[in-house]
Amino acid sequence: MSNVAGKAYGMNVLTPLRWWTALWQKLIFWVVVKTFPYFLKGLLTLSLIHYARWTIINRWSFPRLDKTQPKETLTYSYMLFESNFNGSWDQYIDSFSFAIPGGLDMFWRWNIKYPKSIPLHDFYHYIRFNQIECDHYYNAYPLASANDVKSAKRLTGNLRSFADSLTDNMTDEAFMDAYRQFLADNQHALGSMGDSPLMSTSHQLVQHHKQVNTAHEKQPEEEA
Amino acid sequence: MNRPLDLDDIQGNICKGYGRYGFPKARYFFLQFHTPDQGRRCLHQLIPLITNAEPWAADGDSPLKPDVTTNIAFTYAGLEALGLPQRSLNGFPGEFRMGMKSRADILGDNGPSAPEHWDPVWQGEGIHAWVSINGRDMDAVETRFSVIRGIISDTGGVSIRPGHRGADNTLLPWQDASAVYENGKVTPKEHFGYVDGIGNPYFEGCGNDPSRLPGRGKLNKEGQWQPLATGEFILGHVDEAQEYPLAPEPHLLAHNGTFMVYRKLHENVTTFHHYVDSVAQDFDGSRELLMAKFSGRWPDNGAPLTLAPDDEAKAALDQQLASLTEKADKGDACAAAQLKALKDQWIDFTYADDKHGSRCPIGAHIRRANTRASLETQKGAFNTPSALDDRRRLLRRGLPYGGGQKEASDATEQGIIFMCLGASIERQFEFIQQQWINYSNDFHLGNDKDVLIGSNNGRLTDKHIIQTQPKSGKAPFFCSHLPRMVETRGGDYFFIPSITALNMIAQGIIDPT
Repeated sequence: MSNVAGKAYGMNVLTPLRWWTALWQKLIFWVVVKTFPYFLKGLLTLSLIHYARWTIINRWSFPRLDKTQPKETLTYSYMLFESNFNGSWDQYIDSFSFAIPGGLDMFWRWNIKYPKSIPLHDFYHYIRFNQIECDHYYNAYPLASANDVKSAKRLTGNLRSFADSLTDNMTDEAFMDAYRQFLADNQHALGSMGDSPLMSTSHQLVQHHKQVNTAHEKQPEEEA
Repeated sequence: MNRPLDLDDIQGNICKGYGRYGFPKARYFFLQFHTPDQGRRCLHQLIPLITNAEPWAADGDSPLKPDVTTNIAFTYAGLEALGLPQRSLNGFPGEFRMGMKSRADILGDNGPSAPEHWDPVWQGEGIHAWVSINGRDMDAVETRFSVIRGIISDTGGVSIRPGHRGADNTLLPWQDASAVYENGKVTPKEHFGYVDGIGNPYFEGCGNDPSRLPGRGKLNKEGQWQPLATGEFILGHVDEAQEYPLAPEPHLLAHNGTFMVYRKLHENVTTFHHYVDSVAQDFDGSRELLMAKFSGRWPDNGAPLTLAPDDEAKAALDQQLASLTEKADKGDACAAAQLKALKDQWIDFTYADDKHGSRCPIGAHIRRANTRASLETQKGAFNTPSALDDRRRLLRRGLPYGGGQKEASDATEQGIIFMCLGASIERQFEFIQQQWINYSNDFHLGNDKDVLIGSNNGRLTDKHIIQTQPKSGKAPFFCSHLPRMVETRGGDYFFIPSITALNMIAQGIIDPT
């Protein structure tokens, strides 16, 4: 079990809300979507976030794996918050709370016992208490943050266009001018790619244990 | 709004950067308490020497500025060794309890900066307390040190930990530090040649002149500077998240105290100058401009690149400065006011007009260490423009050490005793060190690191981009294969208690029940 894969952290938070306030919540979501990106400007500016998604699950519509699974009678509807981001849990929650406290309150306002995003530690406890750990979390590009991927995509496209714009009869000087301009146009997409900063000493310990376990598992094979 | 602070209960180094108050010399040393009772007795004797944060004045009710100051702080092991109750110890934050060595991988203290290479004083256990003496001159420091050594010797059961690497590889029982002198005069420079220590944060109740607020506080929605909340820097007061910072019980143990990071940062002067010389050959600008593009400030006088982004602008600025200074020295009040307004711009600026980094590169040292609202890339996106910065500010203290040799090299002893203070080491210092110095995702620069203090290793990808003005026809300039300019040679995390808490610890009456 780990919420961490490469540079990414996966967060799921399931919070209860009364069925009639769920209606209000849906209305808020509708307004947010209709006025997009007005209410989400702060969220979109927080570049550590890959994506964030809020879903209302009505108390009668929780999925069942199979028809034979008995239906549950739930007191509350729930709001499922899913997000992938770069950095540690604390860094993410801190940034959320510092930068867009009003936006967070708008999304969670109707949820049971939501304390508001400021003061911070009550909000910490609320999220931690309602967080569901990832059973499995996979990252195809563990060395890349969302910003790295976006930069790489932009750079790749621009490099192709640049290559297409070159002609055989171009002088060296003209090529140099065009290349300089290409570099200038892409100067914000040229950061190095590398390992993730250490998320926490706990995560470091888990990584260490995994290495030890792998070495231990390999040993009998080598002996055989 | 916080109430006025009890400045006579707060240790002086929290509110005062002693260097600015005319104390260019310092000695730092570390105590080991062999028994709790003797440790407490020793502390009891030291308390009358501790300098508090009351303002100094030439007359009136305020005390006169002393010749020497003394302050004290404790590691987690030190508080344990003094016999604090377990319940109080349990209330300290995790990173403080672990200490700096255990956080090496978070801080980028690897390779030559790894703890096994630190000065001998940091090897093994037994660093319990940090004591600092700052003086107007070395005689004053020596005199105070003799007094303290006498107290330690009389009490017994307390020793000064030896093992600070000094000149010619000698090992000393203390770490001396001193401002760098040029032609016999104190300068605010460090050993690479940069003017340092500009722009410490301004917080509510700090006792500083309110005219120092612009550029040092936080920006509100209207774009005006306001003091940061006291609780960002002093425990027991409300912080920017409108709550009390995490602190141990009882309340009086933490109230008016704070945490401190102590780091001995060795400067590889040969590596630095060789690198600058080598890169300067291809750089379109002077060597000084290249150095400025690393730090964000001109090395000779600390002027920010936002004010003078190239050699031409710097020459004009220098001329303006010289002219205003000359007139002001002759008693021209108007010129003096203009000079002050100009110098205020050393601190009072943002990067709002430099989003591309064509003036101050986005990865320059000062733009990393204090982001000045530049992370709000869309106007009005956040609660306030500096929302992502206000809880990541550091009160920087400390002085250069070593130097003075005829031929400084990587092998000679010189660097900075870096000390920074704040209510949360993890949220403030560790975050900045990990995310903004040794990483660049928030700046959209991938894994690029700070040129000067980043844990670079001379690889192609260890680089710094000097951005250009878009559509200027010029290419950005790449400084690749960055070597390790600065190496960590030791350090730890400390708790600076209030005067009240010091007395309680000395008397052994800390009771969280």
